[in-house]
Amino acid sequence: MTAALVDVPPDEWIELVDVPDDESRARLLRLGLLDGRVECRRRIRNGPVVVRRRGTEVALGRSLARDITVERAGRDGERR
Amino acid sequence: MTANGEAAGGLGTGDGEALVALVGAPNAGKSVLFGRLTAEYADVSNYPGTTVETTAATVGSTRLTDTPGVHGISSFSEEERVTKEAVLEADAVVNVVDATKLDRDLFVTLQLLDMGVPTVVALNMMDELEADGVDVDVDALEAALGVPVVPTVAVTGSGVDELRDRLPEASAPASTPVDSYYDALPDAVEASRAEKTLLVEGDEPTARRVAARGLVADGGDAPLADAGAREAVYRERRSRVRSIVEAVEREAGPGRAAEQRLGDLLMRPMTGVPIAIGLLAAVFYVMGVVVAQRVVGYAEGVLFDRYYNPAVEAVVADLLPGGEWAAPVEFLLVNGNLGLLTITVQYVLGVLLPLVVAFYLAIGTLEDAGVLPRLAVLTDRGLSRIGLNGRAVVPLVVGVGCVTMAVISTRMVGSRRERLIATALLGLAIPCSAQIGVITGLLAGLGLAWWVGYLAVLLGVLGVAGVFLDRTLPGRAEPLIEQLPRLRVPRPGNVARKTANRSAAFLREAVPLFGATAAAVSTLDYVGALDAIVKGVRPLTAALGLPPSFGRVLVLGLIRRDFAAAGMTDMALSASQTFVGLIVVTLFVPCILTMAMILRERDARSALLVWVGSWVTAFTVGGAVAAALEVIA
Repeated sequence: MTAALVDVPPDEWIELVDVPDDESRARLLRLGLLDGRVECRRRIRNGPVVVRRRGTEVALGRSLARDITVERAGRDGERR
Repeated sequence: MTANGEAAGGLGTGDGEALVALVGAPNAGKSVLFGRLTAEYADVSNYPGTTVETTAATVGSTRLTDTPGVHGISSFSEEERVTKEAVLEADAVVNVVDATKLDRDLFVTLQLLDMGVPTVVALNMMDELEADGVDVDVDALEAALGVPVVPTVAVTGSGVDELRDRLPEASAPASTPVDSYYDALPDAVEASRAEKTLLVEGDEPTARRVAARGLVADGGDAPLADAGAREAVYRERRSRVRSIVEAVEREAGPGRAAEQRLGDLLMRPMTGVPIAIGLLAAVFYVMGVVVAQRVVGYAEGVLFDRYYNPAVEAVVADLLPGGEWAAPVEFLLVNGNLGLLTITVQYVLGVLLPLVVAFYLAIGTLEDAGVLPRLAVLTDRGLSRIGLNGRAVVPLVVGVGCVTMAVISTRMVGSRRERLIATALLGLAIPCSAQIGVITGLLAGLGLAWWVGYLAVLLGVLGVAGVFLDRTLPGRAEPLIEQLPRLRVPRPGNVARKTANRSAAFLREAVPLFGATAAAVSTLDYVGALDAIVKGVRPLTAALGLPPSFGRVLVLGLIRRDFAAAGMTDMALSASQTFVGLIVVTLFVPCILTMAMILRERDARSALLVWVGSWVTAFTVGGAVAAALEVIA
């Protein structure tokens, strides 16, 4: 089930499958956020979305979060 | 010198100094480690480059450079460009890795090794790792990377001696998986292994540099940097990072969660907004009230006005013989507007020095505590509407304390485009605390409705100017991708050291610049150019319905903003005239210190844009408000 990152509720495990902007994709790739499942930590109303992977928390601006397509794995998605 | 694939033996035994760069992610502990490695040695100096600072110190025959924190060596930001240059010049690198963020930080480590840069890894924050209940097998990590790995706790100094001892062992594997991508490059390309790696990663500046050598085949217009390969290289490197982390890291016990909750509180609007307002109010109080008004007020009003300036004036009058040629010299040295030995010294020591120290203390503390990125998250929403992202919250708040200092802090807002927007908004629509003091006094006499009107006009200008710049400047707003560091109690020693280094470096650069500007303005004053400006703006003041004497206020405003506002207190003006006048002096050009700082931080074009833009905006908005008031009345 795909969705925009901006629509994912907190505490859900997701996979970022499409980041259209080249530079943003490269930056997220370096941080390991495109390696597999990440946890959607917090969604600030009309603001950035915070995702977490292995203790690294990264805030993504709303305009970027709107463009990112994610695969939703649900609340009990296992950690890897 | 360029790092190449050979193992770098005998560091510092050659003829010259060995260049060693400290490289790692932001908040990985580079600057603390830098302090530890250079602690006993006095020769520490800051080089605030054009935009982002690096610090260097010479220890024995080694020149150690502390670079801006990055998550990769490329050109996505000013920080990365500065760090990339330092890495390309270095003979060896100390790669500072946050042991608790191994999965994130090993990307840079492997990138350095792919580039063939001789490296020693400082596996820092081992104490935090233990507190997290995680264990890293250091020997296995060393074996997997093929270079020395030294566990350290920079804040206590643990492991620093071993790190220093093993620095000469810095090395890089002779070949890495990235080699297979080099085939795609033209055969004739004359580039080091480091440059080849950056080329296959699509780094444009490296491509330009290599092409400029003219060693590539003529007419070969095939792009050297191919962004397409970048993704493949990055993905392959990430897969190596994952398998190393999987092999060396394991859970060793229950971790902690307290800071997580505190960090969350800061980002959730319900709790974060009050906490952020509290923090920013504290910064504003220290900068805007304690320092900008009390300390500076005492220094200017008592130390300089009563003692220093009269004494210097007397000495100069004594020493200079009478005679025609002496008059201009005396004017240049001691005139009451910007005398080189009197008011200029007063501005630098009485105004600039206290503000600079207070500013770096406040910023250093917030930086050390890890709260700045969380403030950015909280304010991203509003600021993204005016072409900025959340990182611009600091300059805009500091600006209400002192616009000059705020211009320096625009370094942290990201791309050139955003820095220019932030600088322009600061120069245009943010009144500084010195000015706010006088303006509050004048508006208090008029009543609350005028206050509200004043704020509404300023916020309106800020919004419109931001949207206008966002639409007209080339490029687009850079999306916020902000790594949130661990929150912690700031360490006073670290903050004090950073403050001292940065303040000294700042003054070294700013003082000559300001002195030259002051001399130039004094010359203009002496030859009567300032009076000519007063005459020249007469039609403008008349159009605003203000008396001709307002021109004098504007000329004072060219030098200092609060002088302009203060000049209005002596004028007999109606309520609407005062209102229009205050709008004009607020939007009018930034003070001379700010202009000197914009010149230093940006360039002449940006400074001119801000300066001319301020004239236009001040009179356009002032005129519109005057006309509107006429209609209402």
